[in-house]
Amino acid sequence: MIFVAVGTQFPFDRLVRYVDEWCGANFHQGIAQIAEGQYLPKYIQYEKFMTTDVFNQHLHQADLIISHAGMGNIITAVEAHKPIIVMNRQFELGEHRNNHQADGLEWMGQLPGVYTATTQEQLLALLNQMSDLKPAQGQAGSRRQALTDFIDQAIRA
Amino acid sequence: MMSTSKKPKLLAISSPGGHWIQLTRICANLEQNYEIVYAMPDALFKPSKQQKIYTIIDVSADDKWKLIPCAFQLLRIMLKERPQAIISTGAAPGAVAIMLGKVLRIRTIWVDSIANVKKLSRAGNMVLGKADVFLTQWEHLSNGKDILFKGAVL
Repeated sequence: MIFVAVGTQFPFDRLVRYVDEWCGANFHQGIAQIAEGQYLPKYIQYEKFMTTDVFNQHLHQADLIISHAGMGNIITAVEAHKPIIVMNRQFELGEHRNNHQADGLEWMGQLPGVYTATTQEQLLALLNQMSDLKPAQGQAGSRRQALTDFIDQAIRA
Repeated sequence: MMSTSKKPKLLAISSPGGHWIQLTRICANLEQNYEIVYAMPDALFKPSKQQKIYTIIDVSADDKWKLIPCAFQLLRIMLKERPQAIISTGAAPGAVAIMLGKVLRIRTIWVDSIANVKKLSRAGNMVLGKADVFLTQWEHLSNGKDILFKGAVL
């Protein structure tokens, strides 16, 4: 099961269509949160918006998360130990007010369990090797614990 | 009624969005040891019941004239709450809080946003050398002296 989530601010039809068509061609199940998108998936289920509970339910049932380059989705996926593919909106295509999602991909791709795609080709290449995509292995939690332990000590110092 | 032993107070401040997500994740691990008071520039934000949040003016380093009323708001909060330490993940309002904390001799901790992977954030550069503890979330940006890497939110 693939869970696609494009955030609540803008649609991201391109991403939804790429994943929908791939799922159709590969007989893969999926559910998409599409915001006010014009493209309505033909092969996978979809909802425009989800409550946090429903969102988390889909996220936990999924084997793979595919998301716009939004920090909230990435943190949620990494915390749930799910591999996540992130694709950026493009200002040139009218998908966002600026290109900061493209800049974000640079650091996001360096995080454990986070894979990035800027083009359809890159996205499909990742989808075709889906079983090789690994989630963060408890690493995220230990990195955070180390950071906050240090801060705790630093406050008392 | 028994009075519970008082936890030291922490003022946690950031801009909304990604900075705030990082700040709340860090503070979630600190909440058992500290009483945390938050400040954030977003009047529409609905805090959870447990959180005490002050709404402040939103500023960016580009509109410097707004830094002054923001600084006065933060000063009032600090004088009222008397935190033992201030922690911020950015951006500009957090930098203002760190500067004020230095003047008021409150311990200050800056955690540069994880989004700054190539170089430190602009707000981070403003408080470098001023914050008592300056942390980056990327090992390659640390110099082991005044810019430390000790972990990351992810």
